[in-house]
Amino acid sequence: MKKGANNKSMVIKKKIMKPGQLLLQGVLWLYFIVSVYPLFWMISYSLKNNNEIFSTNPFGIPTHFRIENYIHAWSNFNIPRYMVNSLFVTSISTIGILILSILFSYAVARMAWKLRVPARVYMMIGLFIPLQVIMIPLAILVKDFHLINTYGAIIVPYIAFGLPFSSLIFYGFLRAIPFDLEESAFMDGASVYRTFISIIAPIVKPAIATVAILQFLGVWNEFLLAYILISDESMKTLPLGLLFFQGQYSTDWGGMGAVMTIASLPTVIVFLIFSEQVERAMTVGSSVKG
Amino acid sequence: MNIMKTYLNNKRAVALFTLPALLLYTIVVSYPVLQTLYRSFYDWNGLGGGTFSGLSNYVKLIHDPLLMRSLRNGALFALVLVIFQIGLGTLLALVCADPNVKGRKILKAGYFIPVVLSVTVVCQLWIAIYDPTSGLVNKLFQVLGISYQQNWLTSSTVSIIAIAFVNAWQFMGFQFSLLYAGVKSIPEQYMEAAIIDGCSKWKAHLKITIPLMAETYKFCFILAITSGIGAFIQMLIMTSGGPGTTNYTLTYMIYRYAFLDSKYGYACAISVFLVALSLLATLVINRLFGRERVTY
Repeated sequence: MKKGANNKSMVIKKKIMKPGQLLLQGVLWLYFIVSVYPLFWMISYSLKNNNEIFSTNPFGIPTHFRIENYIHAWSNFNIPRYMVNSLFVTSISTIGILILSILFSYAVARMAWKLRVPARVYMMIGLFIPLQVIMIPLAILVKDFHLINTYGAIIVPYIAFGLPFSSLIFYGFLRAIPFDLEESAFMDGASVYRTFISIIAPIVKPAIATVAILQFLGVWNEFLLAYILISDESMKTLPLGLLFFQGQYSTDWGGMGAVMTIASLPTVIVFLIFSEQVERAMTVGSSVKG
Repeated sequence: MNIMKTYLNNKRAVALFTLPALLLYTIVVSYPVLQTLYRSFYDWNGLGGGTFSGLSNYVKLIHDPLLMRSLRNGALFALVLVIFQIGLGTLLALVCADPNVKGRKILKAGYFIPVVLSVTVVCQLWIAIYDPTSGLVNKLFQVLGISYQQNWLTSSTVSIIAIAFVNAWQFMGFQFSLLYAGVKSIPEQYMEAAIIDGCSKWKAHLKITIPLMAETYKFCFILAITSGIGAFIQMLIMTSGGPGTTNYTLTYMIYRYAFLDSKYGYACAISVFLVALSLLATLVINRLFGRERVTY
């Protein structure tokens, strides 16, 4: 049996080692360059002056690292403010999504009540609703509640939009836990709430991490809603604030590059640390939608 | 089991756990969807009740010259995504899944990094890359000795392709991950058997791997085509829908009519049209790929 398997894989190896294979692997690395080089270019021009960017050295590593671009960007533009806004909005939204969707999923996945299936389906419909169909009434709703240009104007919708996807992930996770766990806790006289906090919550931790990472990335980068609902300079999140630079400082490429690099760092760092989790969660979660 | 019952159908706990989520979701998501549908039959400027106008918003939409342009742009946008992300993505996924590939982790991370960037950063970066005098693309052509130079974002013919390419580039990693997972999910014995039977590797992929990935492709196509129909942010940031109105899309129409012209009722009708079109596309794709479904 084992011998047969070895023979098979040898046959395959022979077929694989064609010279064409080398070319194809070259294609992989070529696209790698297409994918990564623009970012390398951005970082490198964030460290150059205009002269170097435009004529003397447009493609390569900066000859002299102009850190002053960063200092200038940080102190002259509104970057710290945008950063604080983004951090605040993202963390509150993520925490809100986590709390509401875990509770909801727990009731839907493990408790016994008549409307649990309709409630779950109702929530899942949200996965298919594009933002475009909501944004007009939402903008008016926000205006009516006098929330325009407040953190609430975007935090509340971000939490609501995060619920369907997060509930989907938690639901799948919670269904997979054996029911005996709670049974023994109930036997010992613990209440539903207590059982939830001391037994269920710790088990769900990996799913919490996944959802938190995804929602962090999603909310941090969200643009459309923020663009419609926030116009006050002091309330802008980073993606929105960056837009402002385009008109104002378009002649200072180095400064622009520095601002863009600063704005990208948080999500890129999160991705590089949790890359496999991010990819797996995004692809697994989204394939359910199809 | 009795104990389980009394605990797990504790009505107060159920209410406490589900109501906050359901309430928020209803106010922020469900209610606006119904509002959009309802308001699409009204002549409404966003204030007060407006006046009922039946289907006149929809009739107006059919005669709006921006509609055909938006549909055409949406179709071109989707086409670029399909060719680039699904076409090239399939090639990359098939090659990358080969056991002999070195540095797979680095490759995959490199493909995925643009996905986690903000659309604003990516668009600004590509504005710089497309810059006619100092941008990367035209400079690259010069270096390669190609005399072709282009005003990428202000040309009325090329700009929609250039803009769509930015989206295709940014989210390539996402589609690649889906396709790669699809390739990986197919049992290796099938390929081995085909190769032993004298099939070439690429023929085996064409006849076996790709048809078996129907489910993956279904989702990838839905994603690419609905992204095309809904495209907006890249146009807004990179060209403001221009030059003129050449790069308008359905969402751009919604944005303009609602938030710049205060024709909310009309904009709601466009929203309904957009969702109906997306649903139709999803159904058609489901049909097309459903028929070819193969079970292991």
